[in-house]
Amino acid sequence: MRTQIGRCFALVLVAGMSHACSEKPTEISLQPVGNAEQGRRAIRQHGCGACHRIPGIAGADGNVGPPLVDMAARVYLAGVVANTPANMAHFIRSPHEVSPMTAMPDMQVTQADAVAMSAYLYRPN
Amino acid sequence: MRTVIILVAIALAGLAGGALFIYSGFYNVAATEQHTAPVYWLLNAAMRRSVQRRVDEISVPPLTDPALVARGLPLYRLHCVQCHGAPGVAPEGFALGMMPLPANLALTAREWKNPAEIFWVAKFGIKTSGMPAWEFRLSDEELWAIVAFVRTLSLQSPKEYEALVHAAERGGVSSRAAAPTGISSAAVDLDRGKVALQQYACVTCHVIPGVVAASNPVGPSLAGIATRGYLAGIVPNTRDNMVRWLRSPRTVDPASAMPDLGVTERDAQDIAAFLDTLR
Repeated sequence: MRTQIGRCFALVLVAGMSHACSEKPTEISLQPVGNAEQGRRAIRQHGCGACHRIPGIAGADGNVGPPLVDMAARVYLAGVVANTPANMAHFIRSPHEVSPMTAMPDMQVTQADAVAMSAYLYRPN
Repeated sequence: MRTVIILVAIALAGLAGGALFIYSGFYNVAATEQHTAPVYWLLNAAMRRSVQRRVDEISVPPLTDPALVARGLPLYRLHCVQCHGAPGVAPEGFALGMMPLPANLALTAREWKNPAEIFWVAKFGIKTSGMPAWEFRLSDEELWAIVAFVRTLSLQSPKEYEALVHAAERGGVSSRAAAPTGISSAAVDLDRGKVALQQYACVTCHVIPGVVAASNPVGPSLAGIATRGYLAGIVPNTRDNMVRWLRSPRTVDPASAMPDLGVTERDAQDIAAFLDTLR
């Protein structure tokens, strides 16, 4: 219940909607679709932990970029776009399309892996 | 021994009762709900005593200087009248909805004999009331000018206040005060930086270890920010870049959601010094 309310608030924030949340949000989905377990493997394989602290990934204690703790609650991604699973996958695949000056490199992540990585990052801790 | 057991039992029963009171939601936080008389008295007395205890070290400048009083009027109109009103001038609507209601300062000027107390409240604000701290917005000199002006309020009729306002406007005295530059030779002070994190509302968007209420994940957590490689994911994390980022985020990243909060150079230096302790 609480997450649903939180999601509703986030949705209102994200979409700038003024009307009340309906049962079925249609504008932006905050529900990740990928497979979190596949995401965990992909995160390891792409070395994300070299720059980020990521709970649940052994050795992921980098502090080059921000810690990826509690990502489901974060409002912005890269400080420039709303934090949604779709934007997250986009940012992981093509960081410079989202934030042209970002230090986050393009790691040649496939769409499927990017979606799975988002699912892992958004899983309840 | 028996007495001890009884006392402990009473204390535990009190704690349990308090917990139940809170959990039941019985207490109404609505601003339309007046405090009960004992609670109102208690809060008021606690506030007064708290202020009185903290003003001993403050030295009061000569407040009857007409030039100082005159400097206070435009500042008062810019920052105070919205909530406190003035002789014949009502507070704005939002202020009327506040609980507690902002004080009528003509009365305060009469009842609070020690001007240092007014200065203290204006500078540091009052927790859980609508009174903000002006320490990071106004210089001590500006605050004393406001205090000097406030002390004249109790002697002003509405007509006289109106005449002062007209005279000031005719004289071209702008009601817009210059923002404090905050530039000073003061040494970098990380404790002050920690206070500034609250005063610039950093806590609204970031998790900041060691700062209560800073638990919000709008932007990234500042845990370990001292050793973070990049700022805003864009520039190397150096002291100069941090100060620049704090002062004008858009010059670092034009698309950033981080707003320009009008942080002064000195405050940015102090904040950066505090953030440097988050390893």
